[in-house]
Amino acid sequence: MNLFLKGGEVATENEAPQRADVWIADGTIKAVEVMDAPKGARVVDCSGQIIMPGMFDAHVHFREPGQEKKETILDGTEAAINGGITGVVMMPNTSPSIDSPTVVKRVLDQGARCRIPVLTSACITVDRKGHEMAPIAGLKEAGILMLTDDGDAVPNAALLKRAMEYSTEFDMFFASHCEDPQLCGPRALNEGPVSYRLGIQGTPALAEEICMDRDIRLAHATGATLHIQHVSSEIGMETIRWWRDERGAKVSGEVSPHHLMFADEDIGDYNTHYKMNPPLRTREDNTALLQGLKEGVFRIIATDHAPHTGFEKSQAFVDAPNGITGLDTALVSLHDRFITTGEFGWDLIVKRYSAEPRRMMRLEVAEVAEGKPADLIVFDPNKETTFTKEFMKSKSSNTPFLNKTLKGSVEIVVLGDQILLER
Amino acid sequence: MARKDFLDIVSLDRAEIIHLLDQAVPFKDLFTRSVKKVPALKGKTVLMLFYEPSTRTLSSFEVAAKRLSADVTIFDVPHSSVTKGESVRDTIDTLQAMRADYIVVRHRLSGQPAAIARQTNASVINAGDGAHAHPTQALLDAFTLREVHPQMEGRKVLIMGDILHSRVARSTSTILKKLGVEVAFCGPGSLVPQTRFRRFTNYEEAMKWGPDAVYLLRVQKERQDAPFYPSDREYHSVFGITEERLKRISDKGIYVMHPGPINRGVELCDAVLDYERCLISQQVENGIAARMAVLFGLKPGLENEIS
Amino acid sequence: MNIALDPSAISTAITRLADQIFLAADGNEVDLVGIRSRGDEVAERVYEILKEKGAKVRLGVLDISLYRDDYEHFSSNPTLQSSEIDFPVDGSHVVLVDDVIFTGRTIRAALDALFDYGRPAKVDLAVLIDRGHREIPIEPRFVGKSLETDRMDRVDVSLQKTDGKESVGIITQ
Repeated sequence: MNLFLKGGEVATENEAPQRADVWIADGTIKAVEVMDAPKGARVVDCSGQIIMPGMFDAHVHFREPGQEKKETILDGTEAAINGGITGVVMMPNTSPSIDSPTVVKRVLDQGARCRIPVLTSACITVDRKGHEMAPIAGLKEAGILMLTDDGDAVPNAALLKRAMEYSTEFDMFFASHCEDPQLCGPRALNEGPVSYRLGIQGTPALAEEICMDRDIRLAHATGATLHIQHVSSEIGMETIRWWRDERGAKVSGEVSPHHLMFADEDIGDYNTHYKMNPPLRTREDNTALLQGLKEGVFRIIATDHAPHTGFEKSQAFVDAPNGITGLDTALVSLHDRFITTGEFGWDLIVKRYSAEPRRMMRLEVAEVAEGKPADLIVFDPNKETTFTKEFMKSKSSNTPFLNKTLKGSVEIVVLGDQILLER
Repeated sequence: MARKDFLDIVSLDRAEIIHLLDQAVPFKDLFTRSVKKVPALKGKTVLMLFYEPSTRTLSSFEVAAKRLSADVTIFDVPHSSVTKGESVRDTIDTLQAMRADYIVVRHRLSGQPAAIARQTNASVINAGDGAHAHPTQALLDAFTLREVHPQMEGRKVLIMGDILHSRVARSTSTILKKLGVEVAFCGPGSLVPQTRFRRFTNYEEAMKWGPDAVYLLRVQKERQDAPFYPSDREYHSVFGITEERLKRISDKGIYVMHPGPINRGVELCDAVLDYERCLISQQVENGIAARMAVLFGLKPGLENEIS
Repeated sequence: MNIALDPSAISTAITRLADQIFLAADGNEVDLVGIRSRGDEVAERVYEILKEKGAKVRLGVLDISLYRDDYEHFSSNPTLQSSEIDFPVDGSHVVLVDDVIFTGRTIRAALDALFDYGRPAKVDLAVLIDRGHREIPIEPRFVGKSLETDRMDRVDVSLQKTDGKESVGIITQ
């Protein structure tokens, strides 16, 4: 491959996009500067387009093994490529759960057949049941860094405390899905006027906040490093900020695009595409989370990509499973909602959705810079994308963006010596 | 009004509500005739699909449909709480093949009738879903209140009891609000959520507000997975209509309503049933007329809006 | 639209109906039952004349919406009004009153409705306009005015109380 991306602007995590041409050959970025096309290189006109490192999504649910009719690892990674994402971390709530070196190996072997790197987290407790510790040292040996029972909190605080104490030795970190099991109720939607109107017991934000505070205290006391997944409420976000800034806790936070964009009132008349866990909260929470993202309270953006079949989502609201797909839509939707409106710039996206998640997973950060391995995407802010079922590569299409047209388009994805996508 | 389904009150506008209330009047007139039946729905099939046991609402719909000369089939569904989406969907496919014109649904899950309505061309009538809506109850309540207070605008209705779990509270408060009635809720703090309506957690305070009618709800212990108040006895003494409270209600000429079935000794004492301004049996009779008006007003087979 | 009857011709036709009914009643009690809508207004005007003549007469109104067999043709079902028959029809002599008789189907529905109120001893039919083209064997005993029409014509009746003006017109298709 010998590719010359001409006329674009290069985005980095530290500053606004700068005008530069990018020359890629043999899987390496040869030059990033305004220059003439090198001889023999294929020239692609990127005028008005943004060239930036591939995104990295540290929170995805691929349903393999066990529920491949929703998503396979291969489908999931193709959806990621479609959305400009060149690396993912799987969550362990598959069937069987990713709670042993055997299952880890099976998942990573499958991931190795895909066109982008697939990492996985693994369970804190056996089968995410919250009763006994998973084989943590064995998991570490199998390549695991992130321990989480995502999908549920660890209900037993004593067990989580012991797991944290035990794992320090192995230099792993914990990721928490926060939710008090007694306060959360049937886990269908936020508690408030909307849950009252729809007649479904709501899950109050405090169910998440109480557990978040508990887990951070445990991590702080045991010296563990903790990452709080999919924060949905303002007070939850402030809890992280306080512990980190006031007490020096080793805690980071994550926010999903949907918790920035949608609120419980969007559920309307039982639209299950807006049903996820943690649930959508209020418009005020949207605003606060966005502000927190700009202020750096959240280390990363991650989708919590959670595919479900059309039939599952066609059930009554309470019966329909929680979750929303996100890999196909995340980058375009963030552009459409926040970059076009001037809420933040590309530097924030590169930092929070490419650089920081890779640092968290102790990977080399992807950069569009001379001498770096090619791991980049070209994004056209002037084109539009319509998210039809056919367009999206995920096996499922449980997203509010289904059949919606948004501003922006992922045009090219390059990883190593391969062009993974070119529209 | 060309509407396929009757799922909730929220989506009705004031004009539609008034139309339905007006339509119920001639139906109620029929009850005084020797022949109480009209041929309006001759040859139509009404299927009763009750996933939750209910004698009163089921009978009321059955009588309403029969008085319109429809054929009524009560479809036997298991009342177990584990009826999942999959089996509901299979049932609807079966009913679709039976070419039912109207399906009357009661289900423990909020939103299930709406999900069914999307799957069938039959007219779906919500006979109560979870804590979401009970729109025909709301219609009969409004009809009953209008009979005693033809000028509804500005009247005050106090809805008392387990607001949190009550679909009746939701639908009836919504219809009354749309008709210009002021609504307030009263009950134990653990059972009265914050809503757009005035909220009382003290009986005396609520009565000072000056309601024209007190609407008592059944305290639904069976739906509460956790205790929301210490005991029925304590509930009765703090929020129930005791004989002493009835005396004051009677002095002020306040009407008493209840959707049934009642819990004697919990939300009310026996004497309430003999009170001359107790509208409970009137509500039952009006329920048939209101449900006839709904059945008559719907148009089965209209294009499904949501596919 | 061709005006077939002007206000004075309508008055004449109503008076003619009243005269016929008065004669037929022959001093016995008769119950006029007007069919909504406009049959009720015709019945009311006949009733006033009969009252003046000293006849023993009662007046009722019948809404037959629930007895029609043509709902399928409407996008939404008709708006109902109450029937107002305050007297027992059992054993009485009922004269059904309508504005126009055409196919006869309305009267069939009205008979069904009437018989659900009770069992009259005798039922007669009075119409302001007979425009012909019957589809079922129902004939009026009392007719205010017969009009020659084509099957596809529309006969448009306006009466003062219902419509704010008086006329009978024929609209040719």
